[in-house]
Amino acid sequence: MIGFIKKDLAMIKSNFKLLGILIIVYTIMGLMGKMDISFILPFMCVMIMISSFSYDNYNKWDAYSISLPNGRKNSVKSKYITTILLTLIVSIITTLLSFAISYVNNKTINYEQILVTMLGVIFGTLLVLTFMYPIIYKFGVEKARIGIFLLVFGIVIIGSLLANYIDLSNVLKFLSFLEDYLIIILIMVAIIMVYVSYKISEKIFIKKEF
Amino acid sequence: MENVLEVKDLCKKYDNFELKNITFNLPKGMIMGFIGENGAGKTTTIKAILNIIKSYNGEIKIFGLDNRKNDNKIKEEIGVVLDDMFFPEILTPNDINNTMKGIYKNWDTKMFYDYLKEFSLLPNKQIKTFSKGMRKKLEIITALSHHPKLLILDEPTSGLDPVARAEVIQIFQSILEKDDCSILLSSHITTDLEHIADYITFINNGKVVLSKNTNELLDKYAIVKCTEKEFKNINKKDYVKYKKTKYEYEVLVENKKDFKAKYNISVIDKITLDDLMVLMIKGEE
Repeated sequence: MIGFIKKDLAMIKSNFKLLGILIIVYTIMGLMGKMDISFILPFMCVMIMISSFSYDNYNKWDAYSISLPNGRKNSVKSKYITTILLTLIVSIITTLLSFAISYVNNKTINYEQILVTMLGVIFGTLLVLTFMYPIIYKFGVEKARIGIFLLVFGIVIIGSLLANYIDLSNVLKFLSFLEDYLIIILIMVAIIMVYVSYKISEKIFIKKEF
Repeated sequence: MENVLEVKDLCKKYDNFELKNITFNLPKGMIMGFIGENGAGKTTTIKAILNIIKSYNGEIKIFGLDNRKNDNKIKEEIGVVLDDMFFPEILTPNDINNTMKGIYKNWDTKMFYDYLKEFSLLPNKQIKTFSKGMRKKLEIITALSHHPKLLILDEPTSGLDPVARAEVIQIFQSILEKDDCSILLSSHITTDLEHIADYITFINNGKVVLSKNTNELLDKYAIVKCTEKEFKNINKKDYVKYKKTKYEYEVLVENKKDFKAKYNISVIDKITLDDLMVLMIKGEE
């Protein structure tokens, strides 16, 4: 499986420069007290990995990968592991930079706020992965892009409709009750949803014919 | 003789095409040329052998093992080149080496770099800068560099110029001399196969037309060139197919010796695989 991860990393290495530039821009903007763009960085990791699906598809790698030992399973596994690893590494770098920026600007660091924000961003990133990857495996990258647009659109519509019928103060009360457990709940939910997504993608790719 | 590859009654149905009871065996240490026109079913058969398509009927055994039940074990021992280019273009040969090192247990880095040097492929250049011939060579040496016992090559010479084709064919010959390897090589460029293939399996319209030893095939089959009058005297049982040209009849006969003994027709030409393919496909019965 290491081989598949190395191949995915090699394919996206040209994007590392872009990530590096974004991290520098983030640091400068942070130091100048301008807009916080830290949320973009982990999200970029998923976007970059999605481009690796395009390369695979364009160069007909998928059929070949099946002719390699354990190719069907490892192809899928490597996409998930590489995305998660990349997201976590970039998130850790961004968090450490946030601490540093906060220290330089205020001389005090609000550890909790920065960590919770970053966990939220990682969760959001993994949510995109959870929905996108099975759709990509089933329908291909191009259709998946339309899919994600429809998904976000659907969530906004359903959310706004629900907001009309549900008393938001009750929701906020419920959320404040969860607050003490928020981090652990987010981590558990993230692990479960990514695992379920991975299993669905694996099932799709195992059945796929080229 | 032990077979490394056995395909028995392979059937696969699509809306507009069907593989019908494909059956052939590749003995150990031999090269089999898998020939047929474009769309005859060569790539579909190879994809079934490699489990790239799974929903087929029939039995495929590689190294005596069922290919669907022993997929991973088998794939450690086979090298593959598919019809289409398949390496992501932004990778370099160095990346391919790193990738394959983490995939094949027997990956031989030294062998891979020796081949790169031999074929003047720069290890740190992106594949997109390579010509079609260079890409094919890279695919072939990647298929070779984990010491496979069986090579499955789908149209490895297609689209290459004659010089690149000759180089590629030479690679296969040198492997056979060095390693105890068997090769299934599909091609519609049959001249490449006449010199190197020990066996020929000819597939047309989803069916195996013949699967024979190459020498036996080229010795036994022949093209008889005759006039219309001579042709009308030939018994239908004594020829396979015929084609009427502007000036003469070209008749494909299966047993040259018997035919010579029976008929007094002087122009009996040696057959090439190209002639055989054309007459089998386009000839009349």
